[in-house]
Amino acid sequence: MKVAGSSISARGLTKVYGAGPSAFHALGPIDLDVAAGEFVSLIGPSGCGKSTTMLLVSGLEPPTAGDVVIDGRPLTKPLSDVGIVFQDHLLLEFRNAMDNVMLQQQIRGLDKATTAMTAAALFERLGLSGAEQRYPSQLSGGMRQRVSIARALVHQPPMLLMDEPFGALDAITRTQIRHDLELLWLETRKTVLFITHSIEEAIGLSDRVLVMSKSPGTIVEEIAINLPRPRPAHLGEYPEFSQYSKRIYEIFERLGIYNFSDTRTSSGGSMLGAPQ
Amino acid sequence: MTSTAAPLVEPSPTRWSKGRRIVAAVLSAVATPLLAVGVLLLAWEGAARFFDVPVWLLPKPSDFLVRIVVDWQLLAQNAAATSLTILMGFAIGVLVAVPLALALVVVPALERGLYPVIVFLNVMPKTVIGPILIVWFGISPMVSVLIVFLMCFFPVLVDAMSGFRAVDPRLHHITRSMGASGWQTFRYIQLPAAMPSIYAGMRIGIIKAIEGVIIAEFIASNAGLGFLIMRASSFMDMPLMFSGLIVTAVVALLFNGALTLFGRLLMPWAFASGRA
Repeated sequence: MKVAGSSISARGLTKVYGAGPSAFHALGPIDLDVAAGEFVSLIGPSGCGKSTTMLLVSGLEPPTAGDVVIDGRPLTKPLSDVGIVFQDHLLLEFRNAMDNVMLQQQIRGLDKATTAMTAAALFERLGLSGAEQRYPSQLSGGMRQRVSIARALVHQPPMLLMDEPFGALDAITRTQIRHDLELLWLETRKTVLFITHSIEEAIGLSDRVLVMSKSPGTIVEEIAINLPRPRPAHLGEYPEFSQYSKRIYEIFERLGIYNFSDTRTSSGGSMLGAPQ
Repeated sequence: MTSTAAPLVEPSPTRWSKGRRIVAAVLSAVATPLLAVGVLLLAWEGAARFFDVPVWLLPKPSDFLVRIVVDWQLLAQNAAATSLTILMGFAIGVLVAVPLALALVVVPALERGLYPVIVFLNVMPKTVIGPILIVWFGISPMVSVLIVFLMCFFPVLVDAMSGFRAVDPRLHHITRSMGASGWQTFRYIQLPAAMPSIYAGMRIGIIKAIEGVIIAEFIASNAGLGFLIMRASSFMDMPLMFSGLIVTAVVALLFNGALTLFGRLLMPWAFASGRA
């Protein structure tokens, strides 16, 4: 398969917000390597610097220390050869779905007819047919996020950065959109950096999962996911899924993100009522 | 042919009830106010005749309604002059206020320096500038245009500023990753996003403009409805003054209506119906 993605390489990436006693050390230092065409997830607890990582990799925020190299070129300004999806769809409420996607064409000065065709194909592919003329306020949360994904892909970037893109969606929608994204990725093989706090999403989508610690976030473990694709909605079909999942839970427990020790007192062990 | 049971059923109940609803809506929207105004005018006419009120004190509706018909050319000419003044002052006001609002929001130093001056000018009654403007420009419609400009400038400025401030800063992540220029960001994101606020300011502004134009024409003009009413006053021509008053109200209504239509053109998304 032809690989169409960019590679990401970051060394010693660190972000500190503010200065002096009120400074907040948000991230790092971390080293990050994503090969061209690879699907990599960053998973970690809230506030561990996952989103900061994405802002640094996209060049939207400058790092306090360290540097990012995209396709061998050091990043010095916001990366434009990229599609970004945020947790919030960030659609323009004053543009209908198609016009939101076509914003890429207008701002980048792309050929209108070609982009419109790509957009139409993406709408079809993402189950958005018939929603072209609707405004974001007339769409469901899942559809808005699909439009947001279409917007991130319509200019056919070699890389996709996704910051908890399904975080605001309900579980049923999330499973479907995850599946659709995987199929779309299999067709194009863009490089994807996917940020999530869902273990299932990370294993369900990634080639590799990077597990992050609590703030200031560092990458503590790297897990290669060797599962056939496309992966089913119900990942429990794979015995390996529960092994991967268990490993991530164990790392989280070791890091103190989870505490699964039994804290019930011996006398009051039946708060929920013991079975007779 | 319909089924045999059909004739007992009303042919199309939904259509019928819809028709009734429309009739009811038209009745309540047009007929009821017209009826109320008619009753009021009749009562006025009757009372004025019964008590034999002299026309120089209070004209009867028949006096000034007939006067509108007789002097329609004079009234129309002056209404046109007033409308042109409103249009020019209002247009200049909006065209200056919107870019200035953006500049004040984007450049904090500019806001710190200029905003106190703007607040001072806003608080000051605009008509006190009238005599000064007369010295500068003489008795001319120019003075009225400037007063209208000042009247509607501030509400538009203040609302546009709050509109530009409320633009979600995260939208800049999207536009920066698209490589948008400053002009593109303004044209495609900031201006339409702030449009509901700017429009709200325009609605207040147009009312202020109409208020301002009449006062300006009282003191400093040789054309327009304000000037006509003032001249009629010096001749104790009460029916003409009342005619002018009614025509002024009609002009105000037309401007309000035009702005409502303009709002629909400007912000079609705000009027899109149906939510998923």
